[in-house]
Amino acid sequence: MIVARGLTKTFGAKVAVDDLSFTVEPGRVTGFLGPNGAGKSTTMRMVVGLDRPTAGSVTVNGHSYASSPAPLREVGALLEARALHPGRTARNHLRWLAASNGIPRTRIDEVLDLVGLDAVADQRVGRFSLGMGQRLGIAVALLGEPPVVVLDEPVNGLDPEGIRWVRTLARELAGQGRTVLVSSHLMSEMALTADHLVVVGRGRMLADCSMAQFIADHAASYVRVRSPRPGDVEALLRGRGLDVDRHGDELQVQGMDAAGIGDLVGRAGLHLHELTLVRSSLEDAFMTLTADSVEYAAHPAAQEAQAVR
Amino acid sequence: MIDTVALDPDRHVPGVRRHPRAADTLHAEWLKFWSVRSTGWSTAMLFVLGAGLTTLVCATSAAWLASGEADESPASFITWGLFFAQITALALGTLIVTSEYGTGMIRATLSATPRRGAVLAAKAVVLTGTLFVAGVVTAFAGYLGGNWFLDREGIGIALTDDGVLRSMLGSGLYLAGLGLFAMAIGLLVRHTAAALSIGLALVFVVGNMAFLLPGTWGEWVAKLLPGNAGSGVATPVPFNPELLAPWTGFAVFTAEVAALLLTGWLVFRHRDA
Repeated sequence: MIVARGLTKTFGAKVAVDDLSFTVEPGRVTGFLGPNGAGKSTTMRMVVGLDRPTAGSVTVNGHSYASSPAPLREVGALLEARALHPGRTARNHLRWLAASNGIPRTRIDEVLDLVGLDAVADQRVGRFSLGMGQRLGIAVALLGEPPVVVLDEPVNGLDPEGIRWVRTLARELAGQGRTVLVSSHLMSEMALTADHLVVVGRGRMLADCSMAQFIADHAASYVRVRSPRPGDVEALLRGRGLDVDRHGDELQVQGMDAAGIGDLVGRAGLHLHELTLVRSSLEDAFMTLTADSVEYAAHPAAQEAQAVR
Repeated sequence: MIDTVALDPDRHVPGVRRHPRAADTLHAEWLKFWSVRSTGWSTAMLFVLGAGLTTLVCATSAAWLASGEADESPASFITWGLFFAQITALALGTLIVTSEYGTGMIRATLSATPRRGAVLAAKAVVLTGTLFVAGVVTAFAGYLGGNWFLDREGIGIALTDDGVLRSMLGSGLYLAGLGLFAMAIGLLVRHTAAALSIGLALVFVVGNMAFLLPGTWGEWVAKLLPGNAGSGVATPVPFNPELLAPWTGFAVFTAEVAALLLTGWLVFRHRDA
């Protein structure tokens, strides 16, 4: 279990992490989301004692990371930036890490096999691709069989097979009762991996809730309705107090389920060409929530062009 | 209800029921030190420069030293190569810290061993141990090689001669101290090129230029600079008669290295990795 209380980190005048309090529970995958520069990596670095909090605290298993006698056997972390000497082989990198925490050497071959690097274990890591580096980072995280696993952008640089592997791995680790905290920019991937979400923006907590709750709260689903007479259908539905958005000949209806809308339109003698429940995605919910807290926003080209005129 | 993995850090590592000790940190640093190529190369260079150049200079100077025209003692030449071996000791000391910052390794190191003092102590032991052994072995090899040529001219030096054995051990001690000196600079500066330049400049450039300073205070500044104070212990008879006595100089050098290392440690202790 990871517990943050009032966690704050400032770099000069810039507040990177602002009074974050959250608990990462064991037995489930907690997704850590936020736009670039939201303070995710800084938070994760404070979890593993690399950065000192300016205020507040974060504990792992009830104590600070730095006070653990064998931290690699308690918390396994893959941090975003590479922490490898390019001239050292993968096996030697794992060897010194294992030695430092009293982890038996047999475990080295186990993790190399687990992440699929056994064939290149004796190559210098400077020659590794981004994906191979990520796999080695995951091997490092799992070396001590820790009950808490922290993965910052684990699927960066991985191919589709690798992405699926990380997803399965994260779910397996959680299934074994471990605490798993994963950050990712890939919303579609996160939607498949995480059970619970912690969302931050500009260093502040935006949401701490289950995946389903988060989507329901921040991007409502709607029913897509197409009809040869959209104007009549729109008037009918509005007349019943439903929320209708018209996009060309497509109507987006909220406030009633698809069956109810179908019955209503049918009784009025109108025809439908489409009646579809459109579930909102994690991405939609995330975009809605973080729209105001995006640090580095790109502006749509069309708006820019208009602004120039 | 999911069965929660217990938080005992030992439980998931079969066969291990103990906490890591200082010996484990030391073992990890040892593996790290020797699993990059630069360590092997630098140590080999230390030996080749130290022993090789001593032998070479004795071979080319033996006839002159025996001729009676010589105004230097043959004993000054028997650890001559050490002057260049200093470069590799500085390089090894710098790299043991700055290579970690340059590559981001420092994050892995401090995640594995958050007690920063333990990390620093382990690095210091690995570095000084290696440099001491390499320095003594190199000095003996240089003595054996160089003395072979001096002996042929009848001016051979016995190990029992005044200061010879001391200079062999002193070579190890001085290089070990120089390594720590560079390591401390590395802790403060964190960039390989910058730290190495500062170390080389202090020992080779500032150390020699300082003898040009005027007056008594200039003389003392020159005597007390780390390279000048520390290197006396590594030669039976110094070329420069103005240096401090061997062990006095080494004591000054040790104090300087200790002060610099303490500063480095204080900075390192509170810095974000």
